[in-house]
Amino acid sequence: MFRIEADRARFREIVRGRIRSDLKKYLSTAELIAKHGERAVSVPVPQIELPHFQFGENQKGGVGQGPGQKGEALDEGGQGEEGVGAAGDSEGRHILEVEVELAELAEMLGRELELPRIQPRGKREIQSDGGRYSGIRNSGPDSLRHFRRTYRQALKRTIAAGEWDPQHPRVVPERDDFRFRARRSQPVPDSSAVIFHMMDVSGSMGREQKEIVRIEAFWIDTWLRSQYQNIEVVYIVHDALAKQVDHDAFFHLRESGGTKISSAYELCLKLIQEHFRPEDWNIYPFHYSDGDNWSARDTERCITLLRDEILPRVNQFCYGQVKSAYGSGQFKKDLDDALGSDERVVTSSVAERGDIAQAIRAFLGKGR
Amino acid sequence: MSLARRNSGELAPHLRHWAERIEHVARAVKLDFFPLDFQLLDAADVNGIAAYGGFPVRYPSWRFGMEFERLDKSYTWGLSKIYELVINNDPVVAYLVRSNSDSEQKLVMAHVCGHADFFKHNCWFAATDRHMLDTMATHATKIRRSTDRFGLETVERFLDLALSVENLLDPYLPLRAHLRRTREPDPDLPRVTRTAAPTYDIVGFLVENAPLEAWQREILALVRAEAYYFQPQRMTRIMNEGWASFWHSRILTGGVLDASEIVDFADCHSGATLQSPGRVNPYKLGIELWRYAEERGEDIFRLRRIHNDASLLDELIDEGFVAREQLFVFGRNTRSGKNEVQDRDWRKVKTRLLADLAWGGLPQIELVEVDSDRELVLAHHHDGRDLQLAKAADTLVRLEALWKAPVRLETLEDGQPKRLRCERGEVRVEELAKPADKPAQPS
Repeated sequence: MFRIEADRARFREIVRGRIRSDLKKYLSTAELIAKHGERAVSVPVPQIELPHFQFGENQKGGVGQGPGQKGEALDEGGQGEEGVGAAGDSEGRHILEVEVELAELAEMLGRELELPRIQPRGKREIQSDGGRYSGIRNSGPDSLRHFRRTYRQALKRTIAAGEWDPQHPRVVPERDDFRFRARRSQPVPDSSAVIFHMMDVSGSMGREQKEIVRIEAFWIDTWLRSQYQNIEVVYIVHDALAKQVDHDAFFHLRESGGTKISSAYELCLKLIQEHFRPEDWNIYPFHYSDGDNWSARDTERCITLLRDEILPRVNQFCYGQVKSAYGSGQFKKDLDDALGSDERVVTSSVAERGDIAQAIRAFLGKGR
Repeated sequence: MSLARRNSGELAPHLRHWAERIEHVARAVKLDFFPLDFQLLDAADVNGIAAYGGFPVRYPSWRFGMEFERLDKSYTWGLSKIYELVINNDPVVAYLVRSNSDSEQKLVMAHVCGHADFFKHNCWFAATDRHMLDTMATHATKIRRSTDRFGLETVERFLDLALSVENLLDPYLPLRAHLRRTREPDPDLPRVTRTAAPTYDIVGFLVENAPLEAWQREILALVRAEAYYFQPQRMTRIMNEGWASFWHSRILTGGVLDASEIVDFADCHSGATLQSPGRVNPYKLGIELWRYAEERGEDIFRLRRIHNDASLLDELIDEGFVAREQLFVFGRNTRSGKNEVQDRDWRKVKTRLLADLAWGGLPQIELVEVDSDRELVLAHHHDGRDLQLAKAADTLVRLEALWKAPVRLETLEDGQPKRLRCERGEVRVEELAKPADKPAQPS
């Protein structure tokens, strides 16, 4: 659809602030929420809302539906549902919200970005027997009875027998209708993987840059988790010095000062050597920065470290460059020049949130 | 040229067969509609058309690009999916998504018959433009012509200004005008159409009276026309969706689905009418209203002709319905900061629903007068819901840019009368004296 793409391109230009700066004050980021269990995944969507006369957000309530005693608090889980008063413009546009499991989410990600499933590395095909109840059989213990399939079968039989009455849709399953889940073993490429997320937290990495890294890291974790039974995630932050931190600190820490990327690579290498033998682990280091490094000398040091020490031990090394107001973006160029021909190295650059999908595709698209 | 045609997808033969069969069943149960034109499209294309409000021929704007971005992302991440899109037009155009399963397509086609009947017979749609596809294309041509002459950014900026005031309209005006027109004995009589204060049709007033250049007036007029075209859909969403769902279940379970599809149908149907805990789903409320009306022995065809959401709810909702549907009024508990169930009294539920639906769901803002200094005086008729003042202030700035003279608005915030006055892009908020306190009401 060519026309809408032109409108979308113009919208993106506005969001990036290249044109129509008068609209900037109306720009906000809404989030689409996918829920899976307790956690929610948000997909950010930029929005520009032209001012209108409208009712305040904090209206004094509304009308709800469901059980509950007077004074009982409502579940606020639902996001962005339309109330009765707020009506959309177009008629008959039916939007169905779905809940997603993490595994499904990974699958969708894989399908959407056409990610290949990961090929086992080297000879180590430890075929772990992934016993999963994904098959269906006609007999089995009651505890494995598949309610939906049983019901469906019973319904088919009812209809075939001409007993179906739409006014009284009653279906009584019989013994022959019962269906049971069956165990099916699936070869799983390998069992364990470790992800290193390394991030530059020097002064030039702002909140937006970290947010981009957070989203990217989340999806990478989600995908790799769907490919391996056992995942360890190691977080490393660095400015001129590197240190290992926990998940929380990784996304919230803000340091300042210079940037010495080699410090992170050294720490990563040290951890690999001490804890994650390449024979037992699939290793995925990811590094995110805005592309500034302290000196060309240090960049050389990084390249040597990668080429001689890190690359031989890992499945793939990924560098994601996040565009910031101050970053020069030199590091990606240097990496590409020195190691671009090595297929274990993948680099990508992200200027804004919309580019994240492309970056993930680049990182995970090789199936390594 | 038209995109609809370029991307048009003929229905596969078996779907065409079903479309005919379903249409036949629909007409047999006394639904009546303009000819149906089903188009089969890929999901991405349907998202594109949905972004244009259903009109692939609509004028270009970043706003549609924004909407597309949202729909496309939401679809890509599997968060939502559009099943169908129906356009109020003669013929009725309905877009089906190619990836729907056959039973979903049947459901959608039956659903479309319900909407199409509603479009044709509900009185609020009587005055809508039934050739809106052509009209939208004409609007697009006008905007492109201006763009060629004055530049994209100039036209776009003005269009954006116009869109800020597009909801300042009188939801009852088109029907009033339509009735007057159709009952007028002599169509050649000169019609007095000038919009004068006081009026709710503020956009109409601006089109006629604001000091605009010809091309600007043209754009404001077409923005107004499109807003009035969509307004009845906002005013009848519950009824319309309910009506379509009510009939699709009836048509489908009455022999159109084959046996193995019943489960799929149940799945798909329950997805669309699912209510999330604590919230009213307009689709669900709508279908239950029609079922209730039928049980009470009402003439549902008559009800669908003469009502809008507010008046239908007023007609139908009673103690029994509120109890059956477990409706309640909720509100924010100021101490816990959470919304909680406040009341299950059916009268309160009904009052609340009607308040939310009154005036087409819009704040009721009236142009009171143009005072002796050419200042535009607006009043917000407060119904218990405050305006968002920051947004209101921004809107006033944009109104002033259109009117080219100061603009002021009187409203209430937390019961305190306030006046917002905009002059040269600056908005000042002034507190006004409270009207004499009413005697306290027993609660």
